[in-house]
Amino acid sequence: MTTAPTDQTASGTPQAPPGGGIRTEGLCFGYPGRPVLRGVDLTVRPGELLALVGLNGCGKSTLLRLCAGLLKPTAGRVLLDGDPVAGLSRRATARRIALLHQSAPAVPGMTVRQLVRQGRYAVRGPLGMLREADDPVCARAMADAGVAHWAERPVDALSGGERQRVRLAMVLAQDTRVLLLDEPTTYLDLRHQLEVLSTVVRLRAERDLTVVMVLHDIGHAARFADRIVALRDGRLVADGPPDEVVTPRLLAEALGVVGRVGRDPEGGWPVCYPDHPLPDPPGIEDDNHFH
Amino acid sequence: MSAAPLAAAAARARTLPAPALLATLAVLVAAAAVAGLTAGRALAPADVWQVLRGGGDATARHVLLQLRLPRALVAAGAGAALGLAGTVLQAALRNPLAGPEVTGVTPGAVLGAVTATGLGLAGWEHPAAVVAAACAGGFAGAALLWALAGRERSDPARTAVHGVLTSAVLSGLTAVVLLVAPGELGSVVQWLVGSTEGRVWTHWQLLWPWALAWAIAAWLLAGPLTLLRCGEEQAAAAGLATGRARAAALVCAVALTAGAVPAVGALGFVGLLVPHLAFALFGADLRTALPGAALLGAAAVGWADAAAQWLSRLAAGALDADRLTVPTGAVTTGVGALLLLAVAHRGRGLDP
Repeated sequence: MTTAPTDQTASGTPQAPPGGGIRTEGLCFGYPGRPVLRGVDLTVRPGELLALVGLNGCGKSTLLRLCAGLLKPTAGRVLLDGDPVAGLSRRATARRIALLHQSAPAVPGMTVRQLVRQGRYAVRGPLGMLREADDPVCARAMADAGVAHWAERPVDALSGGERQRVRLAMVLAQDTRVLLLDEPTTYLDLRHQLEVLSTVVRLRAERDLTVVMVLHDIGHAARFADRIVALRDGRLVADGPPDEVVTPRLLAEALGVVGRVGRDPEGGWPVCYPDHPLPDPPGIEDDNHFH
Repeated sequence: MSAAPLAAAAARARTLPAPALLATLAVLVAAAAVAGLTAGRALAPADVWQVLRGGGDATARHVLLQLRLPRALVAAGAGAALGLAGTVLQAALRNPLAGPEVTGVTPGAVLGAVTATGLGLAGWEHPAAVVAAACAGGFAGAALLWALAGRERSDPARTAVHGVLTSAVLSGLTAVVLLVAPGELGSVVQWLVGSTEGRVWTHWQLLWPWALAWAIAAWLLAGPLTLLRCGEEQAAAAGLATGRARAAALVCAVALTAGAVPAVGALGFVGLLVPHLAFALFGADLRTALPGAALLGAAAVGWADAAAQWLSRLAAGALDADRLTVPTGAVTTGVGALLLLAVAHRGRGLDP
């Protein structure tokens, strides 16, 4: 087994550091009177593509934020390749784990190239950002996300879907081994949803990335993920490969809908036919019955 | 005033490379200084030319070299400091309506200066004591905002509301001090309006090292500030310790303002509007927008100073009142109010 170089290779193309495993141990988070996560034990193996599914407010986004060290757990901890995230500085964390948020404000007049360049902050530091260095990682990130031809356009002049791809490029420019994507397909039409997801799948394969993404479309999760984890009211309620966990029971328990599950005639992956919402959907209202 | 031509001009200017833009602005600052040197009542432009060529009588030399030159330099330096302070504040708070005037910083500095003057500890004739008092006041104003905003500090909109409250409270306190010590009212009004009258070399010598040091500090923060403008969560995820970066930026902005207020008083609208021009001209790249804001601020206050002198001369002639002077702050406030209307109508200019 050889150790991958963590810095720059001879070609000048930086490589992501080795590893990429995440483990959460008894992870809890919440606000007084409103628990969000109630003890999540989850191990994400390096190189895995994991989809997080669940109802709005079930704690998916919170789980991603905790993994990226952006929130402090009220109990439990997050380990990144064995290192507690709580002990890493903001920059050290961002060099190892990148998070795409659901949305972010657009800065008036900021061009695509300038925004993507912001993804280099963790590597270059505050003073490094002052230097105008030709950064191959940014160019590659823009090419990977399919936004290179807009490089000089202001981000606030792009459509919602185009912005989302630019923000994906910014996250890719962080050049981390772990990618956390919070609803990367929001605002996108079907074609662009598939474009983003297949980009993620391709990059994962090419660079051996670990990807955890929150998806609302269980069909996308079943089609693209290695493993699906469902959350409900801050707890894991299902965990396994799509073939095993995508069942009518998952649709009812985690997503609150009644539906059928079939198979794609060519690909063989599970296909969901959601029919109607459960009459009494498991929601945030019954949060307090759990403790 | 219509906003459309402004926006169009900004769009045209943005196609220029940043160094060309910065050079153009530097020429504008130099032109403002020339205008300021020649605009006053006591000397005709021909006399100014005489002195600059090494001639002129003793009075002319004194007026130009001991009165007008430091005045023009102080106007430019204070304008640069205020323009930078406003740009740093708007970026750090992600708020287009932030400015030293409305975040408690300028009112705090004014309160400090007025209180020190009222207690007889400082005055226009003791500039160093005024700088110290204004700094203390500026930091106290910012600290009051910090404390009032509490947990909502990271929310730009809430911070803006608390900033306006803080500024109102501090202005009220200033009024109380003025009522308690009315003897100083005449000289102290200059703090409130903002004036470049009677600035001498001592003022300049106190202003420039302080302003330069903090301007460099502000420029070194261009990277974190650009990232902060992208939003709290996105900046944090990209590796920025947002709380620390914002605190450092605020210290820079307060220090720059506190340096400018003892020199020129509370010049209205400079710190609020210069950032809008800077962002319109230089785009989102703070590495050029910050020096651009400094030059724009210097040009704005420099030209306001020249205009104030011209207006004083015109008014004095028309009303036959020899002692009448128009304060520079009246010019910046008048022009600034019109520009703010234009920015507000432009709509897009109000996005963070």
